[in-house]
Amino acid sequence: MRPLRPGVVAALWVLGVTMLMLTAQPARAVPPFARQTGLACEACHTMPPELTPFGRRFKLNGYTLTTRPPLVNDIDDHKRNTVWLTDLPGVAVLAQMNYSHYDRAPPDTGAPYPAHAQSDTFQFPDQFSLVYAGAVSDKVGAWLQLTYNGQAGSIGVDNIDIRYTDHTSDNKWVWGITANNYLTFQDVWNGIGSYTIPNFNTVSLSTGGVGGTGTSGPILNALGPGVVAGLGAYVFYNDSLYFELSEYHSAVAGGSSPTVDSVSLAANGGAVDRFAPFARFAYERDWGYHSAQIGASVLYVNWIPSVGYISAQQQAASGTSGVTPTQTYNPGVINRYTDVSLDWQYQYNGQHDIFGFLGHVTHERQQNSDQLVAATFTGASSAIYSNPTDTLTQFLVTGEYFRDRRYGGLVSFTRTTGTSDPLANGGDGSPANQYETFELDYVPWLNVRFILQYDAYQVVANNQNPFNLSHANFPTSPGFPNVKASDNNTWVLGLWMDF
Amino acid sequence: MKRLTTHSLTVAAIALACTVVGTVRAADIFLPPDPGARNARELVSFACSKCHGPTGNGISISPLFPILAGQNQVYIDTELKLLRQHGRSDPHARGFMWGISHALTDEQIAGLAEYFAKQPAVTGRPSKNPALAAKGKEIYENGVASPKIVKCAQCHGEVGAGTNNVPRLQGQHPGYLALQLHYYHDKLRENVLMQRNVNNINDDQIAAVVEYISTLTGDEPTDDSP
Repeated sequence: MRPLRPGVVAALWVLGVTMLMLTAQPARAVPPFARQTGLACEACHTMPPELTPFGRRFKLNGYTLTTRPPLVNDIDDHKRNTVWLTDLPGVAVLAQMNYSHYDRAPPDTGAPYPAHAQSDTFQFPDQFSLVYAGAVSDKVGAWLQLTYNGQAGSIGVDNIDIRYTDHTSDNKWVWGITANNYLTFQDVWNGIGSYTIPNFNTVSLSTGGVGGTGTSGPILNALGPGVVAGLGAYVFYNDSLYFELSEYHSAVAGGSSPTVDSVSLAANGGAVDRFAPFARFAYERDWGYHSAQIGASVLYVNWIPSVGYISAQQQAASGTSGVTPTQTYNPGVINRYTDVSLDWQYQYNGQHDIFGFLGHVTHERQQNSDQLVAATFTGASSAIYSNPTDTLTQFLVTGEYFRDRRYGGLVSFTRTTGTSDPLANGGDGSPANQYETFELDYVPWLNVRFILQYDAYQVVANNQNPFNLSHANFPTSPGFPNVKASDNNTWVLGLWMDF
Repeated sequence: MKRLTTHSLTVAAIALACTVVGTVRAADIFLPPDPGARNARELVSFACSKCHGPTGNGISISPLFPILAGQNQVYIDTELKLLRQHGRSDPHARGFMWGISHALTDEQIAGLAEYFAKQPAVTGRPSKNPALAAKGKEIYENGVASPKIVKCAQCHGEVGAGTNNVPRLQGQHPGYLALQLHYYHDKLRENVLMQRNVNNINDDQIAAVVEYISTLTGDEPTDDSP
């Protein structure tokens, strides 16, 4: 049998994809919330994970809306539910795969130039999660996620959000308590922190990058599973005003000690000291097909960084000789972060068209411990920061459009600027970065999504850039010429499935 | 032959016994009302209000969802039962109401129909496009001779109040009405009568008639009306 010519093969591929596009019909989505409520994905999501007004209320009401008849439903003498269990646990699989291509092959992390790595990365899977999500009782609901992370190569506890909620009969007041391990995972507007849009997890520099570096951003984006856990209370009034007060505590995973010590500090890059308060306010107004929101948040964190540092007490106890400089938890040195964010969102949820325009500005003020600042440094190792106070401002704005939840795309712009701190950031000290994400989506079924993404970088400063020779990840590369921000430009072909 | 007859009789006897047992069981088992089940008001607060009006007044914000306030009780009852048994299969019925309604009891449906029918109804408002509304008025009141479009007023009444299982149109979201007309025209929503009535309607005529319906106010004239 004669082998097919390349042109014929390409034509067959095009034909096959075309047939798939023509024959695929929208289907009712099947992950746990859809199973529990009988509602299709479109009820809660414009395009996952972004929520519609209905989806926001479903979450604020603690994931408890259900239409499944209970298999076990006991009541007491006051007709109060004592146990409520469905015949079907709300379990689902979330899977993401991606194939990434850097415009320029990155330097080899273990060999000198001109050795270099492949330009392509295939993560199959990039993320594979098992999720329990849904009502636990008539007033308690939970999202519990266990994830294999392709970039980390390990399985771990991922997002957790457990809620108790109640409301008045006219829904004028909805209130709840949330226990979660991911600051901003509990938020319903996708405007701040880590659940902003775009959200597809890639190996692009903005979300991890070569050598696991990633671009700089506020600490608001970084307090996730394995680092913190917190408790919050919220109230949603008159279907429009939202106020939340939460506190987060260090909840270290993977450390050898059940409490936070120098070992677990090193494992997570640091830890929250005592409690980190977080306040969130938002106002939403819905009219016709439109929904608009503005919001603000404030986060204050006392952060104990994992740095090479020997305290005065350690010196007094054992001197400096033979002691590896290691930050301890107590007595430790602390940096104080204050993050103030403004965020907004506009959605048009039409019969066929969906528009979205959302984003945030986060300003961070980082007061560095004088024990780690060059001018006031007293430790036994070296200073970590040039300035007693550093600032960082991140601006992200995203515009998106989807037609019939079948075709669509988005354009996102991120710009980060801040004070120059050569000791902290290397080079000229700038923490700046700027990039755009262009994304095309094809959604043959609401729970199967193909993603073509291009990330274009204009600014990647200093030690954020894995192509930078002085970067700690590539200490053995003696000369890798013409380092540019655009070296990090990345094509990503992704697949996102929930079932 | 004898064996076959005996065998056949045995099978028939077993089948008859099963039928009798089944009949007896169906007749004897009494299902008490579930004291843990939500009543209509609780259901509205718990579920319906998320789409059909946040305070439970039946006035939805998004035109994706119909206004139920003041809707005819029989119509709501009929539609909920249709949706529960998947007797309506337009995309939004599938996406939203099939699941939400599937576990409702007849008693709950009756309670919901009564609840929403008693909520203060929404009425129309003056058109911002009088010319378009005038064109719609002609279709609404007189229909179109060729190609044939049946006049809406014939069933829905002069002011769109409807009756029994004919829905109230007055005060409804224009976007929702337009979508339903497209569903009927495209045979996506089951109702042979409506499918036939709007079989020849085009997009411009839908826009016009919906614009006119959005202006309707008041009560249906009675026989005693001057």
